[in-house]
Amino acid sequence: MTTRADATGRHRKRGNRLGFWFFKATIRLFGLRGAYGLVHLVCLHYLFFDRQSVEATMAYIRRRFPGRGYMARILGVYRILVNQGKSLVDRYYLISGLGTFEYEVQGYDEIKRILKDSDKGLVLLTAHVGNWQVTMNSLGRLDNTVRLLMRPEDNAAVKETLDVYPHGDKVKTISTASFMGGMIECAKALDNGELVSIMGDRIYGADWTTARILGAEARFPHAAFTLAAATERPVVVVLSGKISTKKYSVDLSHIIRTRYTSRKDRQKDIEKWVQEYATILEEYSGEYPYQWYLFHDIWAGAERQAPPPGHGGDGS
Amino acid sequence: MTQDKEQGLAEVREKIKKLLVEELALEDWTVETIADDEILFGQGLELDSLDAVEIVVLLQRHFKVDIPDNEMGREIFYSVDTLARHVHKNLNPGDS
Repeated sequence: MTTRADATGRHRKRGNRLGFWFFKATIRLFGLRGAYGLVHLVCLHYLFFDRQSVEATMAYIRRRFPGRGYMARILGVYRILVNQGKSLVDRYYLISGLGTFEYEVQGYDEIKRILKDSDKGLVLLTAHVGNWQVTMNSLGRLDNTVRLLMRPEDNAAVKETLDVYPHGDKVKTISTASFMGGMIECAKALDNGELVSIMGDRIYGADWTTARILGAEARFPHAAFTLAAATERPVVVVLSGKISTKKYSVDLSHIIRTRYTSRKDRQKDIEKWVQEYATILEEYSGEYPYQWYLFHDIWAGAERQAPPPGHGGDGS
Repeated sequence: MTQDKEQGLAEVREKIKKLLVEELALEDWTVETIADDEILFGQGLELDSLDAVEIVVLLQRHFKVDIPDNEMGREIFYSVDTLARHVHKNLNPGDS
């Protein structure tokens, strides 16, 4: 269902086509609630045997709820795993055409205005809070093609699900597996008026910057900001939360404007933008504390000296 | 190589040097001090990946020329000269 990094930083595949087929069949037979029931069982397996996933989630729970005892934390981890499973079920529910979700969208008009004022696109900075895939569906009304910067080779089944989004060919991917981490294609897409979506809470390479979140320094990828600064386009933070079985809240109201103050201060500028994002993420995930799923411990290794932006990593 | 092509290439090189100095705000460099075969990354101008994205955007904006997102892109990004040759080739497709 997801991918995770092993000790060497590579991402191990989790889930497969059979698993996806099984979930789809369950949704068809038992509906959303039936599939959610199955998720509870499946997540017990992950809770006991998926050590890396539990460790990453525990790193978050420990900081989100510092006063809690061990068992309460384990329960918190389980709740997050279940919510992550539910978000996958929701995605397949949507893709299968069995039904739709209702969205409460904040900030939509401002994005529409920005796009109307220019023939260029904008950068969407997402996170694994709520359900970013379902959120992408809510952006279908904008009529702009959405390009997801991701590693489709990580999991062919995940890519297949993108190809059959309800908005057809309006959601496409850009691979990070190129000599500049997909940045060239991203720049072209923005120039063509497309929306480029980048994950803000998942690091693939060494291109990251630290920012303070939940009381400690953590690592965040900064590609969205370097791309936005180079192309002079704004970054729209895209966050979502599930508020009922068939309803999501989508927040597009946070817009980060990027412009380097000077060449020598570029690193400071990037740190400032990343911190702004981290602060937004901390506040938003506080509203949905069990809906933020982290693929890795973003706090681990953050106390080391962060590599200066522009040296190595996916973007170079 | 014809004289016209050589002259066209020299003009593109100068434009690229000017863009690099002005748009990337290279304080220690001028158009005159940048050699035609100056290396862009690591050595020479010592640019980094932040600059690489900016160069891609500058070439799109000023010359309507794209950089291929593959190994060929890496070769094009080697020096001022390789960059200029790529731009010149794309501006004059029949002149290669």
